[in-house]
Amino acid sequence: MKTITLECLRGLEAPARVAIRRQNGRCQAYLQTTSPRPLAQLCRRRPVEELPRLVTLLSPAHHLAAALALDRLGEVTPPEMAQNMREGLRLALTYRRHLRKLYFLLLAWENPWANGDSLGSRRRSHTFPPRLMDDAWRHLSLAQEAVAILGGRFDHPVTAVAGGVSRFLKEEHYARLAVIAGACRDFALSFSDFLASQVFLWGREEGWLAAELPPLPSLTLSTPEEQFVRRDGRGQEQERFTAAALWEKVGRHQEPWTYEDFAYFREQGWQHLEPTSVDHLFAVGPLPRLNSGTPASAPAAVGEVERLCSVLGPLPRRELAAAYWALLVDLLQAAESMVELYTPEKLTGPTLRHIPAGWGREAQAVVESPAGWLFIQVRVDERGLIEDLQLLDPATANNALCCLVAQQVVAAAAAANLGWQDTKKRLELSLLPL
Amino acid sequence: MKQGANKKKVAVYTATGCRTCEHAMVDLHYEVNPLTHWAEVVFWPYLLGSAWEDLNGEGRVDVCFFAGAVQTADDQAAAVRLRDKSQILVAVGACAAFGGLPGLANLSPAGPEPEAAPEPSPEMPPLPPLLPKVLALGSVVPVDYVVPGCPPTPPLLWAAFQAVAGLGTAPARLGYAASRLPGPVAEALAAGLLPPRGSVFAGDKAVCASCSRVKEEKLFRRVLRPYQAYEESGRCLLEQGLICQGVATREGCGGLCTAVGVPCRGCFGKPPAIVDPGAKMVAAISSTIDSSDAEEIACLAEDFVDLAGTFYRYLLPSQCLLMATPMTVGKHEDHNP
Repeated sequence: MKTITLECLRGLEAPARVAIRRQNGRCQAYLQTTSPRPLAQLCRRRPVEELPRLVTLLSPAHHLAAALALDRLGEVTPPEMAQNMREGLRLALTYRRHLRKLYFLLLAWENPWANGDSLGSRRRSHTFPPRLMDDAWRHLSLAQEAVAILGGRFDHPVTAVAGGVSRFLKEEHYARLAVIAGACRDFALSFSDFLASQVFLWGREEGWLAAELPPLPSLTLSTPEEQFVRRDGRGQEQERFTAAALWEKVGRHQEPWTYEDFAYFREQGWQHLEPTSVDHLFAVGPLPRLNSGTPASAPAAVGEVERLCSVLGPLPRRELAAAYWALLVDLLQAAESMVELYTPEKLTGPTLRHIPAGWGREAQAVVESPAGWLFIQVRVDERGLIEDLQLLDPATANNALCCLVAQQVVAAAAAANLGWQDTKKRLELSLLPL
Repeated sequence: MKQGANKKKVAVYTATGCRTCEHAMVDLHYEVNPLTHWAEVVFWPYLLGSAWEDLNGEGRVDVCFFAGAVQTADDQAAAVRLRDKSQILVAVGACAAFGGLPGLANLSPAGPEPEAAPEPSPEMPPLPPLLPKVLALGSVVPVDYVVPGCPPTPPLLWAAFQAVAGLGTAPARLGYAASRLPGPVAEALAAGLLPPRGSVFAGDKAVCASCSRVKEEKLFRRVLRPYQAYEESGRCLLEQGLICQGVATREGCGGLCTAVGVPCRGCFGKPPAIVDPGAKMVAAISSTIDSSDAEEIACLAEDFVDLAGTFYRYLLPSQCLLMATPMTVGKHEDHNP
């Protein structure tokens, strides 16, 4: 048996590689996460109030989910201003993450460091508008600045605490946030025209964004009632259940060839990870959100969904182009919401936080993070030390989807006799928006 | 050095970590683009998708910025390979510098413990095995420079880039970073020379030196956990009774966390004058307890929780005297470029 290992994969957050085992002319691809995330182990016996700072190791959105879990554990409701600050942080994080992903997509053509065409043999047939990459970069840094103002740091935010936030904004922050929100919205609008009219269309016509993702069921979050909505691979709603019932419905499975778990529906039980049998699996994130028909509230985002449907067809969609387009819809939604929210009226208030009288024994929270919903459940002892922490985040929830995509891409590349370098580039492009 | 001539070959890599240090490098705002004027990034998997084979044809790499802790055999192999290949190896971020948050796994007697998984079959590709302990980079290979922080702040990171990869091109905007750097490092930076090996791109004093909070009276009367109290007075958090590690942590961040009302947790590591940051915290607090009554002090001590996890939040593998694995920083023989 021959093994080919493709690493390192560009743009992947987790340490991962694709190992391809070839035997008797057949290829089997394994997307391996090569390092564990033993966060439950790290958090055990830590004071629960430290949870938002500990879990931010996984993503800044985990910080917000943990803070919400603390609110519930302490039975306090944050003041409106604090809730708005947290939401403002979430929006800036969404903008930053999605713009970074789209920037990476464009870097596949024009890489300022490598001067390479990382799509391989396909040469770029048109040029970017002047200064587009610089503008994208500048707005990434603006979103980053909003994260720093609202979260206290450029990354690994610290301001969300039990019952609220840890500080008031300063006078100069209000004006700055308004400028950032306006600039981010204006850029998102012009960027969306360029992406939709050229990149996505071109990519689809050329074939490198035309591949279809595996038809996994989806599990999306319906807020504010905090219900999960399960849909089959064709987008038909199957059932709704509360966040509290998550572990009754969803299990975790381990495979010996990867450190990341797989999430699956308990009702079906764990089956093999095969593209022909996916009913026990599910996907989360921007594309399932888009396909769920969750109405976008911002006019530009609504317009972008209409443009997507007019080009690709009615929802649900499964093309790779749709996965990137979903990022764009989210980006627009976040940008317009930032403009609405980043006002002195909404970010000012008499109280920062409500102090919990003590801790309960168990709490859970679910939030819509940029990459998909994430669920956190914590149990503490009588001193408020963490006894048990259970997380289900997009890295685990989408692990099956990513592994199946890797299998699919490698199979298609083998059928087309592509070289390993081209296979690797297709893998990177296919995994980036998930 | 003339810009554009004789570009430095730079490598960037993250072992077990969260990519935030790499984002910090990518997100040096406008400063990153000029990087290409004097540096050629030859290996950056996250950004460029570089494969390990890409290093083979590169000859010597001038500078490698290595982030993330060493948790698996693959991490260890990457550290050795990049050390061998690089003239200068820089540990970036708390994970590479000290072991970071992943290092808390060392508090478990058995070290990192993956949950039980099914037995692999021969058709399946193997996983890199976990090391018995999570390690800082300097415990695996000799490290030349350290940029601490979780993640490092942009000015200090930029200063490190300028100092080790952009000799002689330091721009005026290094002023902020230079004001927080130890004298010899700042002087070398200003002169366009390589700083003394082993230098840490952060201050020499404690965070308290640059924390904007008002220090009035160092008397510790009660232990408060951060969820139990809130005082918007701008007063020193430790004086309020909150466990804040600014007193045992290297300065350089400018008191980012304390400025927003959140206690310091020591991601810059200990200042050079301190031997063990946990011991320093115990000494700092116990020497200011406002009581001489043994029973009262014992009651007060009962209120402290999780001292190891708090005082060594980012430092357990390298700076806790009882549990540290020895490190080599600044003693690499093949250092002078």
